[in-house]
Amino acid sequence: MAPSSAEAGSSAAAASASGRLLVLYASQTGNAMDAAERVGREAERGGCPAVDVLSMDSFDPGRLPSERFVVFVVSTTGQGDPPDSMKVFWRYLLRKDLGAQWLEGVHRAVFGLGDSGYQKYNFAAKKLDRRLSHLGAERVVEIGLGDDQHPSGYEGALDPWLLSLWKSLNETNPSLLPRVSDINDPNLSILGNPKVHVIYYSSNEVPRDSIVSEPNKIINNARSMSPALQFHDDGGPPCMLQMVTNQRLTKESSDRDVRHFELEDPSSAISYKVGNTLEILPSQNQSAVDAFIERCNLDPDYYVTIQAKTGDKISKGSLVSSQMDCIKLKTFVALTMDIASASPRRYFFEVMSFFATAEHEKARLQYFSSPEGRDDLYRYNQKEGRTVLEVLEEFPSVQMPFEWLVQLTPPLKKRAFSISSSPLAHPNQIHLTASVVSWLTPFKRTRHGLCSTWLAGLNPSKDNIIPCWIRQGSLPPPRALVPLVLIGPGTGCAPFRAFVEERAAQAATEPTAPILFFFGCRNQDNDFLYKDFWLTHAQDDGVLSSKKGGGLFVAFSRDQPQKVYVQHKIKEQSARVWNLLLSGAAVYIAGSSTKMPADVTDALEVICKERGVKKEDASKWLKDLEKVGRFHIETWS
Amino acid sequence: MSAAALVVTDEVALPIRAVGDLAAAADVSREEVAVITQCAALGGKLPFDDGSVGAVLAVIKNVESLREQLVAEINRVLKAGGRVLVQSPASSSSQKPNTDIERKLLMGGFVEVQASAATSQDTLQSVTVKAKKANWSMGSSFPLKKATRALPKIEINDDSELIDEDSLLTEEDLKKPQLPVVGDCEVSATRKACKNCSCGRAEAEAKVEKLELTAEQINNPQSACGSCNLGDAFRCGTCPYRGLPPFKPGEKVSLAGNFLAADI
Repeated sequence: MAPSSAEAGSSAAAASASGRLLVLYASQTGNAMDAAERVGREAERGGCPAVDVLSMDSFDPGRLPSERFVVFVVSTTGQGDPPDSMKVFWRYLLRKDLGAQWLEGVHRAVFGLGDSGYQKYNFAAKKLDRRLSHLGAERVVEIGLGDDQHPSGYEGALDPWLLSLWKSLNETNPSLLPRVSDINDPNLSILGNPKVHVIYYSSNEVPRDSIVSEPNKIINNARSMSPALQFHDDGGPPCMLQMVTNQRLTKESSDRDVRHFELEDPSSAISYKVGNTLEILPSQNQSAVDAFIERCNLDPDYYVTIQAKTGDKISKGSLVSSQMDCIKLKTFVALTMDIASASPRRYFFEVMSFFATAEHEKARLQYFSSPEGRDDLYRYNQKEGRTVLEVLEEFPSVQMPFEWLVQLTPPLKKRAFSISSSPLAHPNQIHLTASVVSWLTPFKRTRHGLCSTWLAGLNPSKDNIIPCWIRQGSLPPPRALVPLVLIGPGTGCAPFRAFVEERAAQAATEPTAPILFFFGCRNQDNDFLYKDFWLTHAQDDGVLSSKKGGGLFVAFSRDQPQKVYVQHKIKEQSARVWNLLLSGAAVYIAGSSTKMPADVTDALEVICKERGVKKEDASKWLKDLEKVGRFHIETWS
Repeated sequence: MSAAALVVTDEVALPIRAVGDLAAAADVSREEVAVITQCAALGGKLPFDDGSVGAVLAVIKNVESLREQLVAEINRVLKAGGRVLVQSPASSSSQKPNTDIERKLLMGGFVEVQASAATSQDTLQSVTVKAKKANWSMGSSFPLKKATRALPKIEINDDSELIDEDSLLTEEDLKKPQLPVVGDCEVSATRKACKNCSCGRAEAEAKVEKLELTAEQINNPQSACGSCNLGDAFRCGTCPYRGLPPFKPGEKVSLAGNFLAADI
């Protein structure tokens, strides 16, 4: 069976699912990921031949039955819900057609992270554990329940649970952990070896034919080589787009900076569909990259080849090329290692403590990596948006070898944007609608979103290259004859601008169904994004015009004393929404709030109730709509 | 006072037959029928309790005597659902007394108001209007008949049927969890406030007081404790230099963000 794209690059994964320990985590704030990584490290210490630690949304649940040993590490959010990354996986497990023997032969253990201050304490982990039993998976140990209310946080439960896990696994399958006693041996250095192997070449040592010159291929090589990106496969080299328009949509006086970007491919035609997303790889600030290289005593002009080590063996390099590609060290850092935006993980601080020569630094780093220091670390690191470069500068005695830096620096991630244009209206351009992110931390430091700030700073009259990948989004494009109810406040209107453009173009040649569009923003004068565009389509014979059965409804939340949001507008138009729903409309919700979709869904339920439908029936009906693809939600934070 | 049936008339006297008719119609014996004559002189109220009379016959010679007040009184004393019959001799004028009577009954709150064909044993023509007091009494309620719309059925592929995940939880799980025993609520580094804190602890944690920086401290920063210059990782919660990058004692502190801000 060919490995799924989510696991490309890990040859061990496909080869022997039977000899490996798989750790699947579902993390919301990073704690479950930390815990899962610790489970993985201890397993490796114990000599496990193959360990893979994966987020649940990178693993195809259909492949579970072929695994032999799986550890689940699952957080529960405040409402008793599983984290977002678990939603698809969990839905799969809930299927009625799986049967009680589906996971026969799979040994599993579940650890949950929760907070006993909440009624729904660790519900996600508990439900998972039960369901796994129903599906026939065998329990290695009882479920472990980490509790935030415990003085040591989740570690209070994780420490003893891990002890019993290794003991039990070793009893039933001694070959899985040949060196199990090493795990907690106090005499052994805890650090171990990095999982990355680096080959260095000075500039005159580099084999000429392995230097790549096309920018998009360089990007592809660098990112395929990076072990941290092993499970984030790009799927090929990027398109290199040029920004031709950079226009501010919100008034200068508004505190929100929302931009309209138009991107073109100078060399060939772009092919995309409405509802697609564009994944962009942002550029890092050059001075920051230089500062990082200097701080870490690296030579920027050296070339490197990076290889992942699994167990003690060095894997054969990326799947993309069989020969050993090499790349300038500085380029590798700039393209794959996020040094000035993402925050490092807890284990980064732990490893730093081994390389600190100043006593006070060592002590502080050890404190930060301990259960007692977890809260202070959170305040210092995550809440402040502390970057790798900042951390290294505050602990100047730490000299971490490059191998460890490659392994532990957060990978430079692509950012996804909903495309806000239709290829029918703009055949060779991709439009984006993006908010420039910036916020104030508790210590009053200003942080800026890496990608949005970089894009906003690009000058269309100069050459600029934006590496992107076009992906199918989670909002499938509707057919022309499907009536639409679209709800997209703020930047949520982006994909719907594309929908409206598309349908307007289709209306010229074929019959189309009406669209009701609900938009919301703060002030009509400040941030009514694409005002003229919507108004134009709401007039005369436009797709949003009442003549065509359509509608444009806008909620300005701050233009009057009481707050008016999209859900209020929806309730005002209950008759029209109802009639459209009865005639087979599809509902799309998009936006940046986490509460908005729930509020809108409530409003739709109220509309049903007004017409004599019981709440449970309305709720179920909307869920059914989702199942048959007539109800879609895409949100981003 | 109550009665099984009541005859009310503005005349001085009433033929016995009328009483008999009403008794038969109301399915009561003649003895149970109360009679009030000269009702116009009544001064307003019928001497019966609310809802105490099963049926009423009003024999009215002058339509004018069927005043609003009398109609209201008849309505009052009638039981819920009780019937009223108004008989009136047809006047010789072309005016239609039954529409008058109908209107008055309707205004008085009666339902099912119906004029029936004039029948009479007498040689005189008379009109009869039947009506009924509404079936509900004050304060009662019944559900409005809503037009229940059925939601259109949605065909779902059975493969995607999911089990109910809440069925996975046991009684034990649904009970309120036991909190581990900890010290009392104090703002300390090891015990966090709950996400939905209502005791004020969350605010206290967020508000950790920071001392203000003086100009002197910016130009010539010193640290008695030796930690302020090291950076946020080493500073305590109240340090005035919190949020600033590390500095060398004596060298002016840079207040501007960091050079990592985008060079726009």
